[in-house]
Amino acid sequence: MIYVKGLTKSFGDNLVISNVDMHIRPGEKVVIVGPSGSGKSTFLRCLNLLEQPTGGTITFDGQEITAPGVDVNLIRRHMGMVFQHFNLFANLTVKQNIMLAPVQLKIKTKEEAEAEAMRLLKLVNLEEKADDYPARLSGGQKQRIAIVRSLAMNPEVMLFDEPTSALDPEMVGEVLELMKRLADDGMTMVVVTHEMGFAREVGTRVVFMDEGVIKEENTPKEFFDHPQDPRLQDFLSKVL
Amino acid sequence: MEFIEELKLGLYQTFILDNNYQYFLKGIGITLLVTVFALILGMILGVLVAIIRSAHDQQPEKKKGIVLRILNGICKVYLTVIRGTPMLVQLLIMWFVIWASARSTDANMIRCAILSFGINSGAYVAEIVRSGIMSIDKGQMEAGRSLGLNYAATMRFVIIPQAIKNILPALGNELITLLKETSVVTVIGLKDLTKGAMIIQSKTYQAFVPYIAIAVIYLVMVLFLSWVLGKLERRMRQSDLR
Repeated sequence: MIYVKGLTKSFGDNLVISNVDMHIRPGEKVVIVGPSGSGKSTFLRCLNLLEQPTGGTITFDGQEITAPGVDVNLIRRHMGMVFQHFNLFANLTVKQNIMLAPVQLKIKTKEEAEAEAMRLLKLVNLEEKADDYPARLSGGQKQRIAIVRSLAMNPEVMLFDEPTSALDPEMVGEVLELMKRLADDGMTMVVVTHEMGFAREVGTRVVFMDEGVIKEENTPKEFFDHPQDPRLQDFLSKVL
Repeated sequence: MEFIEELKLGLYQTFILDNNYQYFLKGIGITLLVTVFALILGMILGVLVAIIRSAHDQQPEKKKGIVLRILNGICKVYLTVIRGTPMLVQLLIMWFVIWASARSTDANMIRCAILSFGINSGAYVAEIVRSGIMSIDKGQMEAGRSLGLNYAATMRFVIIPQAIKNILPALGNELITLLKETSVVTVIGLKDLTKGAMIIQSKTYQAFVPYIAIAVIYLVMVLFLSWVLGKLERRMRQSDLR
């Protein structure tokens, strides 16, 4: 579904990702872990071109999206993204947040989008918040709505950029639970996270990134029980 | 007692004699007309310039088109020249140099004043709006873009509405300044509120009553504006309520 070849990204002289290859198949749940500054968030942001890669290619559904002249807006419709800081539109109500993109991109009529928004809100038990502004929600509620907002575009793949890192500990559970449900429904997911429990339980493949390269990738069981790379062993001993 | 008598005479000559109050009424009309249309022109210019400037500053170096670079250059020159020269001088140049061939009719003078004040106000509004756009967390733009909305749509539905809300106090300030500064149109002979008082002074040799009167009128207009802006601000703050 997504082929990444030789991906390189530098900010000025600072090389953040160097020559990374990855193949993400439909239905896979790839969990990327690693110390901060390892380039894992930047890698994720390159996948939907929020960051412009310096080198290498990314192919999505058979189309090379890093080629010049590609309409990134069309690509992004099929890739949902969830951010660490939720980024709900502060000037719009919860329902308007969910409806904005489908309606403006003329994918749905206003009525269809509204019905879909209410259906999705019901799914996460937040339908009574439909007409509230984001400022009135808790962090966990905001993130669940941010996820649902992405789902309203019917994406083929969902990218999660540390979705629980900005949450109070007691709200992490509700967000992870929703992500698990998504995973069970067969959604293709790429997740950057520090939640090792989630990586072990939900991931089909866990990737360890450090200093801009993939140091190790494996099934969750092998990854956590028999880590090979010394840097990974050190990392796991600190976080587990 | 003598003061009271003088005040009575002053009031009589200023407002009642020869229907002099007409100068104030017509003056208020012209002052408001110039202010309102200059405001509209200034807002349009300001938002356009602000969008060009921030689009230029927010795009990565490589993706900036030649058109955007040229537009940004023009905007920068506009801001520098307009903010770097006195409003009065701009008005004089507009009327006596650029429109030198125009006849001195009220309609021509009003057009000239609206254009001058609009262009002047636009430069200040542009920087206010740009500061508003820059104040919005960049995650808002990223969220819009990640859903497939383009730059313009995200600007229009997400960034600009939030920016406007944040800059409303500064914009109100600019509007109040604009209203008061229109009094300099007297130099090209346009009969605005200030000119009305000057005409009455020259006819009646009264200074106290006419000038205090227009001071009060300006003050009342400003107070009314502040009140309207305050209401607007409270309405737009709705989304901040917890």
